[in-house]
Amino acid sequence: MPSYTIEELIQLKPSETLSVDFDAVEFKAIIEKVKQVQALKEEEYNATHHGHFNRRRSSHLHHGKPKVKQHKPKVTTDENGWSTFEPKTTEEGDSENNSDNATTTTTSSISKETVKVKPNNRHISSSRPADNSDIITDKQVHGFNTFAALVSDDEDDE
Amino acid sequence: MSVEEVSQKLENVTVSDDAPKTVLSDNKEFEVKHPLNTKWTLWYTKPAVDKSESWSDLLRPVTTFETVEEFWAIIQNIPEPHELPLKSDYHVFRNDIRPEWEDQANSKGGKWSFQLKGRGSDIDELWLRTLLAVIGETIDEDDSQINGVVLSIRKGGNKFALWTKSEDKEPLTKIGAKFKTVLKLTEDGLLEFYPHSAANDRHAQPSITL
Repeated sequence: MPSYTIEELIQLKPSETLSVDFDAVEFKAIIEKVKQVQALKEEEYNATHHGHFNRRRSSHLHHGKPKVKQHKPKVTTDENGWSTFEPKTTEEGDSENNSDNATTTTTSSISKETVKVKPNNRHISSSRPADNSDIITDKQVHGFNTFAALVSDDEDDE
Repeated sequence: MSVEEVSQKLENVTVSDDAPKTVLSDNKEFEVKHPLNTKWTLWYTKPAVDKSESWSDLLRPVTTFETVEEFWAIIQNIPEPHELPLKSDYHVFRNDIRPEWEDQANSKGGKWSFQLKGRGSDIDELWLRTLLAVIGETIDEDDSQINGVVLSIRKGGNKFALWTKSEDKEPLTKIGAKFKTVLKLTEDGLLEFYPHSAANDRHAQPSITL
């Protein structure tokens, strides 16, 4: 039985690259293709999971922070290159007199507020009255009294 | 027959200039090759990239070799272990033994297993040393217990496995001790033997530990 030690086999290693009886180029190409597919899949996984690999099951449906639109402060740049920050609310109040200052700021702030009125339309399509006062008006005033009807007019006369 | 014996025999024959050339006398155009004890087959398990691909589609024989020179030619032409994608396996098995538990030659055997933590650069060297020890038949001098050897490229750590045809403790302990030397393992390095009969049990304990 022929046997060779590791050192002996290394001695027999040819310095030149030899040819093989299978398509080594195709074999390497398959491996390269698999590597590319794996890299793409990993990239896709990272993009969808935002780097959260430890979360097994999310307790909420939000992925990441909700979008909050921040209003940019108005900044004007003059011809000399100086930029000035212009806050919105204080600009109007400063132009008015001191006595009227408090009232104007409050009115301006009130006017800017948008109050959303949401009607309570839960009972609109139901038979239940939407207004409580309707219950009183619809109440039956005169009911038919059976006992009163049984009493004859003759008896009353006596 | 050792390499020295083969070379010596050839030298004795080289009386005339027409003597056959070996890889030692002519690196490029050698005529006589050094035979191995048996024929070996290189198999490759391609990682699944599509759910429709089954195990039988992924495991394929690449080529066979019977001489030392053919072995080196293959090694020079295939990607090194560190170049393989994750979930790939290289298998080198004797003759036509399939690298599966179900194969008759493997069904009553098991495997010596070692996991190399991290994707270290020494994986190429250790895999080559393992192959040379297996095909050179120096890891198993007493009897041919070895059916094949497997390298699995995994995220958690690359695995080396030496597949044997039996579960006999005495010869396997000798082989395990040599395998440890081949893998350059110290006392801390743990080598475990798992019989194929327990392969389906996820919590199976090794029957031999070195």
